Amino acid sequence: MSDEIKVDLELDLKGLLCPLPMVKVSQNINNVPVGGVIRAVATDPGSMADIPAWAKSTGNEVLSAEKQGNEFVFLVKRVK
Amino acid sequence: MDAQAISTIVGVIDKKMTRQVKQYLDICARCAICKDSCHQYVGTGDLKYLPARRAELVRQVYKKYFDSAGRFVPALFEARDPDDTLLDELYESCYACTGCRRCMYYCPFSIDTQQVVAIGKAMLIAVGRGQEMLGQLADAALFKGDNVEMFREVLVSGFKDIEAEVREITGDPEATIPVDKEGAEILYVALAGAHSIRPAAVIFHEAGVDWTISLFEAANYGYFFGDPEKARLIAKRFMDEAKRLGVKEVVVPECGHAYRVAEIFYEAWSKEKLPFKVSHILEVVDRFIKEGRITVEKGRIAGRVTYHDPCQIARNGGIYEQPRDVVRAIADDFVDLTPNRAEQWCCGGGGGIVAIDELRDVRLKSGAKKVEQLRASGAAVLACPCENCRLQIEDLNELHGLGLQVRQVIDLVVEAMPLPGNRPGAQ
Amino acid sequence: METYLALTSVWGVYLTAVVFFAGMGLRIYQWATTPRSPVPFGLFPKPATRAGRVAAMLRDTLVAPHSAKIEPRMWAFAMLFHVAALAAFVGHLRLVQECPVLPDLLGAEGMNAFAAWAGGIAGTLMMVATLYWIARRTFGPFKALSVPEDYLLLGLLLGVIVMGNHMRFFGDVHAAEYRAWFQSLLAFKPHIPEEILASNVGWSLGTHMLFVDALLIYFPFSKLVHTIGSFAANLTRSE
Repeated sequence: MSDEIKVDLELDLKGLLCPLPMVKVSQNINNVPVGGVIRAVATDPGSMADIPAWAKSTGNEVLSAEKQGNEFVFLVKRVK
Repeated sequence: MDAQAISTIVGVIDKKMTRQVKQYLDICARCAICKDSCHQYVGTGDLKYLPARRAELVRQVYKKYFDSAGRFVPALFEARDPDDTLLDELYESCYACTGCRRCMYYCPFSIDTQQVVAIGKAMLIAVGRGQEMLGQLADAALFKGDNVEMFREVLVSGFKDIEAEVREITGDPEATIPVDKEGAEILYVALAGAHSIRPAAVIFHEAGVDWTISLFEAANYGYFFGDPEKARLIAKRFMDEAKRLGVKEVVVPECGHAYRVAEIFYEAWSKEKLPFKVSHILEVVDRFIKEGRITVEKGRIAGRVTYHDPCQIARNGGIYEQPRDVVRAIADDFVDLTPNRAEQWCCGGGGGIVAIDELRDVRLKSGAKKVEQLRASGAAVLACPCENCRLQIEDLNELHGLGLQVRQVIDLVVEAMPLPGNRPGAQ
Repeated sequence: METYLALTSVWGVYLTAVVFFAGMGLRIYQWATTPRSPVPFGLFPKPATRAGRVAAMLRDTLVAPHSAKIEPRMWAFAMLFHVAALAAFVGHLRLVQECPVLPDLLGAEGMNAFAAWAGGIAGTLMMVATLYWIARRTFGPFKALSVPEDYLLLGLLLGVIVMGNHMRFFGDVHAAEYRAWFQSLLAFKPHIPEEILASNVGWSLGTHMLFVDALLIYFPFSKLVHTIGSFAANLTRSE
């Protein structure tokens, strides 16, 4: 599924401790256009809750949040 | 700035005013003795970071609306209406302030600038100028807490991953990270990151204590943002959880403001007496070591070790000796920073500033004193029980090439424990 | 001269007394009626007992040891000023009543000589400290922090001190005459003794009192309320 989505910005958040992955996604969301997508890769399991919660409370959208081995991969769409 | 906004700001000052803050605003002599106490003013030389100046901005509006002399002769006090210039400076001075209260320590009148800054933040929030990132972090935490069932599965699955690591480290295939365990002795409220759970779980397991982990986190961005109601709600989640589970002790992780919020502020905010005690994890670890419930050995940590007092735990939380006793128990060569304890320099990373990109330069400059202290100590390892301090000192470490290992204290403790799966430098 | 003294040293004094005490009362009332924050603001370590808290508050307010540690020079000048001001205040109590014991020991002449020395030293030290403060504020990095109030207060203070010193050093009038004037005020039968009117310091007294009146009228509405507020704030330090 993720192959079909055009990614506007890649964020490498590996090694960052929570809540920094969420902070980085938030800081970068304005660097993609509305409707644009950030692909973020984190290693802290806390990000699996943090990033979706951030998206919900800011009105953005997490298209997918997957665990791939030791990494957590997010596709976040800027809604507004 | 329109009349509506001005009246909103004035209303907030009125609502937030307390006797203590009123006295602070009335008595400050602008003697500027605070100038040498503030790491940010010392590091930048910029007037807006001088503690008395931070308070002066709030005072200018206060004088105009709440003081007879200020109303009568505003020019005498430079009393004025809030305008964009004032709010711009207020934004920087309030959100840069780490709330370390070192200025209060040295002030001849013990003026607590942090409380004045709190009113400054409330003024900004009232007109939609609160710090955006801290607001988002607070809202995300609230959302997570309100929808804990939505996140339960990912949280528990995260705990399972960490549990596997704990089993490896302790060599005990039965080791667990208990969730929702009623009647447990200790509820451990961690940070969102695995790093704050793993070593604690190892220590609790080795101590044989009956514990359970919270589904909520101890970090409180509502407090940094400057909204006491949000801050109270964020803390209320785990306090209610602790009551529901009937634990005897709530333990907060190596996080400065989380401890101060839980131990110093929460009862006053919620107007209730908590039926359990609140401890910092290092108080608990110190107890375990002294009672012989966990074994630690010297010689496993190489190099001289020093300790940084996080402001919210030490000067503002009263925990000075237990962490030192823990570090002394595991380090061959322990040296204190100078000055230390109540006079410890703030590292510059508190108050949520590490999450504020636009204040990065100020933050790094404000670490000058900490860098001096760390260099002078000759230490190779820094034990530091606060997440924000560590993020800041890591940045300083890299920027100034200090070659320091900046470590969570419980990581060092686990490293000093004779455990089968103990990897040196486990992070 | 008589009119000037009547304005500044008689009716001015009455007006000042009313405004000062009412103003201080109002300030205390305002503090007392503002609700306290329920959150404890104390710094650690905190004294364990109530007596310990009061002792720490008195030490912090009267000696300010922490301020001494961080800026010894400013602390020294501040202590100098406040101790000298206290000494001057005690000296001024002779206006109400001649102090006991000392005049018997020293004799009338001796007492006047002692007062001249003690008062002169206190007045000089206060002047030095005030000049230091003016210089520090004007040339230090705190110029931008300062507001007109700061200079106004220092100006008034300097006026009080300089005119007081002028009477002390250049006047030949002693406490007895001033006491007659001050007691007449207290008895609400104001009268200015001939000796003062005829002396070379009548103008000095009038101007001294002009500055005193202005300073004390402004006092309750200025940052000088730290004289009482610092006790409360330093008690908050250990709550």
